[in-house]
Amino acid sequence: MIMRPGQQQLLLPVSPIFMWASLVMALLLAMLPLGRAAWMPDVLALVIVFWSVHQPMRVGMGAAFFFGLCMDVHQSALLGQHALSYTTLSFLAIMMHRRLTWYSVLLQAPQVLPLFLLSHVIELAIRMVGGGILPGWTMLVAPALEAALWPLASVLLLAPQRRTPDPDANRPL
Amino acid sequence: MSLGTLDRSTPPLFNQGPSALSKLIFFSALALFLMVADARFNVVRPIRLAIGTVLYPVQWLALKPVQAVAEGGRYLEELQLAQRKEAEARRALALQSERAGQADVLASENARLRALLELRQTTSTPGRAAEVLYDSADPYTRKVVIDQGVAQGVVAGSPVIDPSGVVGQVTLVQPFTSEVTLVIDRDQAIPVQNMRTGARSVAFGDANAHGGGLELRFMAANSDVQEGDLLATSGVDGVYPAGLPVARIERIERRADSGFARIYCQPLGDVNAARYVLVLTPVGGQGSAAAHPAAASASAAAAASAATTPKAAATVVPGAPAPSATTAAVAPAAAVAKRTPPARATRPANPVASPTPAVPAPSAPAARPRTPERRATP
Repeated sequence: MIMRPGQQQLLLPVSPIFMWASLVMALLLAMLPLGRAAWMPDVLALVIVFWSVHQPMRVGMGAAFFFGLCMDVHQSALLGQHALSYTTLSFLAIMMHRRLTWYSVLLQAPQVLPLFLLSHVIELAIRMVGGGILPGWTMLVAPALEAALWPLASVLLLAPQRRTPDPDANRPL
Repeated sequence: MSLGTLDRSTPPLFNQGPSALSKLIFFSALALFLMVADARFNVVRPIRLAIGTVLYPVQWLALKPVQAVAEGGRYLEELQLAQRKEAEARRALALQSERAGQADVLASENARLRALLELRQTTSTPGRAAEVLYDSADPYTRKVVIDQGVAQGVVAGSPVIDPSGVVGQVTLVQPFTSEVTLVIDRDQAIPVQNMRTGARSVAFGDANAHGGGLELRFMAANSDVQEGDLLATSGVDGVYPAGLPVARIERIERRADSGFARIYCQPLGDVNAARYVLVLTPVGGQGSAAAHPAAASASAAAAASAATTPKAAATVVPGAPAPSATTAAVAPAAAVAKRTPPARATRPANPVASPTPAVPAPSAPAARPRTPERRATP
């Protein structure tokens, strides 16, 4: 087993239940009716990219496509808009997952920023072709916020895998 | 598996299924197909309804904490503020009760006069109250979701009003919720009548304006409009009942280089913060259940072409006895389908030279003007 510079410890295998629950939780968070704000970070895209990087054999483009359709229906957007953008995100994340995990979490964040930027550009392009309005410059904030949330997502979503394999009195978790 | 994990099962080394690129191509093609089918051919509505039904519990769950916070905020509202609001509401009620008393008298008088003139009787419009659940988060459109759906008998195309005016129109009905496209949405058009002059025209959504507004298009630069004019629904579209307040003209730009004035209006309905709304039954849908998708936008376009002057508007309907009777006569039983072709397609190529700016879509032959019209010169 190779210990990479970005990681201090070996991780336990992921629990599929936790993984899918986190995805559904992200869908729930993305569905919170917080009004129409273009700068709102897309938590679901973040979690999809996260699991595509860390578990590319389990969460792939099919899941991304399905969750994208759910977002389209919820936002009453063009059916397939989020699906396309999430599929592309997942593809790029799978392409870069071997390289990305060699870096520390803080260095990973600027590398996933172009992914989120691209996904928002895809959505914007689709809506401009379909005849929508420009949501304003605040939509540039969304990818930056998503990239900024990457370290937090890494800490939270990898926490169950960081438990010690043999708990004792000194290491209960 | 990624190298960071200690998995107990051996990863499949050789049989990994289709490559990532081929999967990407497959899903992108599928997404593109869905988008085209959704935007142009309107055939994916069952998929949307199915996903919407499955998602409804999740949406309900997501709604609860936000509603709880809002309720808590209102619970902690100051007593003074609540008392002031109550006083305002009582004042408004007193004002309205006086007008309501007059309205009964006027309605009976109007019915007698209409019978005398052998005009068609106007229909009353039943409505149902609904609560706005949330603003749709899509920043490219202006839509809200209300808590009434197919189960409560809402039909697509229904006008939605609040106490101060028209808010929008139901464009998609889910089993328990409905999407309302606000009048300020870019693709939403509403036939209006200037209450001061009686001139008919069509107001288009202008979401880019500050907070969202409407724009009155295809009005000649020398037409009789003033800032502060009240625009109400004209009723010629067969969807909206006549006489609902829509907007007030805020700013008029008359440009030398254009044959048309740019007229910006402010919606009267509380499009950004309405909490309780009234969903009316579409006028055309009351008699027959027939609904032609996209016919309403076509009739709106026809009204735009005919409404440059009130005189020209009378030519819209062959056989109509008087302009005032067109309300019930046109009625193409229209329900605006979701995502009808954008109204900007009706913009004329050369606004000065072309007197008939909007070519009606072929799906509404009844609303087509009989003769090509002259340039409107008042």
